[in-house]
Amino acid sequence: MATENKVNKKKVSTYKIVQIVLGVLFGGYIVWRLYQILIANPVYGPDTWLRFAIAGIILGSVYALVAIGYTLVYGILHMINFAHGDIMMIGAFGGYFVFEALKNISTPTVADPKLNFLNAHPIVSVILAFVVGVSVAALSGYFLERIAYRPLRNAPRLVPLISAIGASIFLENAAMLMFGAQRRDFTNPVVLTRGNGWEIPVGGGTVILTYTGVLTFVLSIVILVLLYLLVQRTRMGRAMRAVAENKNVAALMGINVDGIISQTFILSGGLAGAAGVMWGIHLGLVYYFLGFIPGIKAFTSAVLGGIGNLPGAMLGGLFLGGVESLGPAVLGIDFQLKDVLAFGILVLVLIFRPTGILGEVLSEEKV
Amino acid sequence: MSKRIYALASLLLFASMMLAACGSTPTAAPAATEASTEAPAVTEAPATEAAAAGAPEVCATDEFGCAVFKPGDVIKIGMGAPMTGDYAAFGIDISQGAMIAVQDAGDVDGFKFELVTEDDGGSPEGGAAVANKFVTDPAIVAIAGHIFSGATNAAMPIYEKAGIPMMSPSATNPDLTKQSSKVFNRLVFTDADQGRFAAEYLFNKLSITKLAVIHDGSSYGQGLAQVTNDEFIKLGGEVVEFTAITPGESDYSATLADVAAKQPQAIYFGGYNAEAAVIVNQMKQSGLDGVVFFGDDGTFGQDFLDRTGANSEGTYSTSLVPPATDAKAAFDAAYEAAYQTPAGKLSPYTWTAYDSAASLVSAIKSVAVLGGDGNLYIPRGALVAAVRSIKEYQGLSGVVTCQENGECASSGPTFYVAKDGTWVEAEK
Repeated sequence: MATENKVNKKKVSTYKIVQIVLGVLFGGYIVWRLYQILIANPVYGPDTWLRFAIAGIILGSVYALVAIGYTLVYGILHMINFAHGDIMMIGAFGGYFVFEALKNISTPTVADPKLNFLNAHPIVSVILAFVVGVSVAALSGYFLERIAYRPLRNAPRLVPLISAIGASIFLENAAMLMFGAQRRDFTNPVVLTRGNGWEIPVGGGTVILTYTGVLTFVLSIVILVLLYLLVQRTRMGRAMRAVAENKNVAALMGINVDGIISQTFILSGGLAGAAGVMWGIHLGLVYYFLGFIPGIKAFTSAVLGGIGNLPGAMLGGLFLGGVESLGPAVLGIDFQLKDVLAFGILVLVLIFRPTGILGEVLSEEKV
Repeated sequence: MSKRIYALASLLLFASMMLAACGSTPTAAPAATEASTEAPAVTEAPATEAAAAGAPEVCATDEFGCAVFKPGDVIKIGMGAPMTGDYAAFGIDISQGAMIAVQDAGDVDGFKFELVTEDDGGSPEGGAAVANKFVTDPAIVAIAGHIFSGATNAAMPIYEKAGIPMMSPSATNPDLTKQSSKVFNRLVFTDADQGRFAAEYLFNKLSITKLAVIHDGSSYGQGLAQVTNDEFIKLGGEVVEFTAITPGESDYSATLADVAAKQPQAIYFGGYNAEAAVIVNQMKQSGLDGVVFFGDDGTFGQDFLDRTGANSEGTYSTSLVPPATDAKAAFDAAYEAAYQTPAGKLSPYTWTAYDSAASLVSAIKSVAVLGGDGNLYIPRGALVAAVRSIKEYQGLSGVVTCQENGECASSGPTFYVAKDGTWVEAEK
C-alpha cells in the first residue's frame, strides 16, 4: 500500500516538474524577447505598439462577438455548432441588403439634393441593419436546429457534429447560389467610413482609433453583459442552466426541453447575426465564404477561454486577437505566421489548463 | 421475411459482381494504351481511323496524329478559367473576349469553331483536372489559356503529352517559358518584364528610394514581388520590408502597422485586387498615410476602384490595355453589344484573350487539310509547331511574333494612376 502511494506521488510530481520547467522556459523566453525588442534593440516606436494593440483588441472583439454565440450552444447542448460562422454570414448579408436598400431611398434637402436615407439618418440605418440582420440570423438558427440537430438529439455525439459540418457546407453553397460568388462591399454611412476615427498623437506619429472598431468593442461588451444577465437572472436563463445540467431531470421539473433548446439556438443565431452585421460594418467585405475563418477563430477563442463559459469567450477572443497582432512583433517573426503562433498558444494553454483560461462550463453554478 | 431479404441481398450482390466484371474490361484497355504510348488513347484513335479512310499523308507522319472532323463537326478550342469564386471576374471576362474571337473566326472548309470553357478555379488542382478533361475530347485541338499561372503550370505537362498547343492571354509567371515546353505560348508580357518596368518607374520616375514589397504568396504574386524586389535593389534602392499576407482575409492592419514602422515611401504589391483593396482601405489607420501604393496588373480594373472609393486616389496600377485602334473600337463595340458591359471593366485581359483565340484560329487554318473523304484533318504536331512560329500576326494588342521559348508578347506594361475614381494613364 505504502509503495503504491509513493509511485503515484512520483508520477504526479514528474508531470508537474515538466509543466513548471516548460512554463519557466517559455516565460523566460518571452521576457528576454520583450527586453530585446523594447530596450536593447527597439524596432518599433510607441505609436506602432499602440497600433498593434488597437488592432488586436478590435480583431479580438470581432472574434469574441462570434465566440459568445458558439460557447452558448456548447454550454447548453455540449455540441459544437460548426455552422455558427455561416449563420453569421447570413446576418451580414441581411445588414448588407438593408444598407443597399436605404442607399436607394433619396431624401433630398436644400443643402444636399443627393442625400440618401443612409446618410441622412445613420443611427436609424445602423439600428435597422442590426434588427434585420439579427432577425434573419435568428430565424436561420431556429431552422438549423429544427432540421439539422433535433432529429439527432439522441444520436451518438459524433453524429450531430457531422450534421453541423454538412449544414455549414450547405449554407455556404446556398448563399453562393443565391447571392453570387463575388465579394460585395458593405457601404457604410459617410459618418462611419472605414478607417476614419479619433486621431491620437503618440510619440511623433498619429494613431487612428477607428469609429467602427470602437463600436465593435462596445457592442461585444454590451452583448456579453446582457447575455450574462439573461442567463443568470431570468426564468429563461434558469431553465437553460437546468437543461445544461441534466435534460431528463429538467424535463421532470416541467421544463420544455425542446423549447429551451430552440430558444438557445434563436439566441445564438441572433448573436451570430449581430456579429455578422458588425463584421460587415467594420471590415466591409461580404461574400458567401465570409463565416469560415471567423468561425474557426471564434471556436479557438471559445476553447481558449474555456468552452461553455461566457466571459471566457470574450477573454479568449481578446487574447487571440492580441496574440495575432502583438505576438509576431514581440517574437520578431513574419506576420504571415500569426496563425501558427495563435494555434501554438492554444496548444500551450491546453497543456497547462486543459479546460481553458477560465475553465468552467455553463452547467456549473457560475455560468 | 428474413429469407426474402436474404434472397434479395444475394441477388443484388450477384448483380453487382456481374456489373463490376463487365465494367472492368473496357476500362482496362485505355489505361494500358495510355501507359504504353506517350499520347493518350483518344488522340491515337482518330489517327488510326484516318489511315484506314485514306487521310492526307501528313497524318501518318505527324508525331501526335490528326484530329479528325466529320462534316458537321465543330473544331473546339478549350479554355480553362476561374468561372466561380473570388477571381471569377477574370475568367468570365477572358472567356467572353475569346468567345468574340471565335465568333469572328468564320470557318475552314465549312467547319466552324467553338470555344469550350471549363472552370478551373484558378488553382493548380483545378488546372490539372480541366486539362485531363480536355485531352479526352478529340475535338479540342488548341487551348486559349489557362488564365492563372498556377493553373497553367499544372496543366502544361498534360497538354504536352497530348500535343495540344496553348496560347495564354494572362499567365505571367516568368518560369512558365523556362521549362522548354513545346506547347506553351503566351501573349501577355511576363512578370519579369513587369517587375523590371515597375521597379524602374518607382525608382526613376517617382524617385522612391525606400520601398516595401508585399505579396499574397501565390505563384503569380510572389514571383512578381521577388522580381521587383531584386530589380529595385539592383537600381540602388532600398527594400525596407519584404513580407507576405494570407489571401482571403479582411484585416491586414497588424501586418501594415509592422510595415509602417519601417517607414517606406511606397508599397509594391504582388497579388490580386481582392486583397489589394483591403490593404489600400486600411493603410491610413495603420500609419501608412501618404505612402504610395503601387499595384500589379492583377489589381487593375474598375472593381478595385469601386471597393476603395476615395482611398484609391493616387494609387498606381499596371495594365496592358492596348492603344486605341479601329480594330479595338470594333471589338469594344461587339463586346458591349454581346455582354452589356464595357470591355475592360471586369479585367484588363479581354483584348489579349481575343488575340490568343484569334491567333490560334489562324494557326489552325494554316495546317488544316480537307481529306478526299470530306473529313477535315488537323495534324496535331504540325499545329503545335505552327502556333510556336506565329509571325507578325496583327492582333488587337499589337503585332504578335512568337519567340522560340513561346513568348509572344506584343507590348510592355502601361502604368495607370487613380484620379477621381477612374484610372488615367500615368506620365511616362
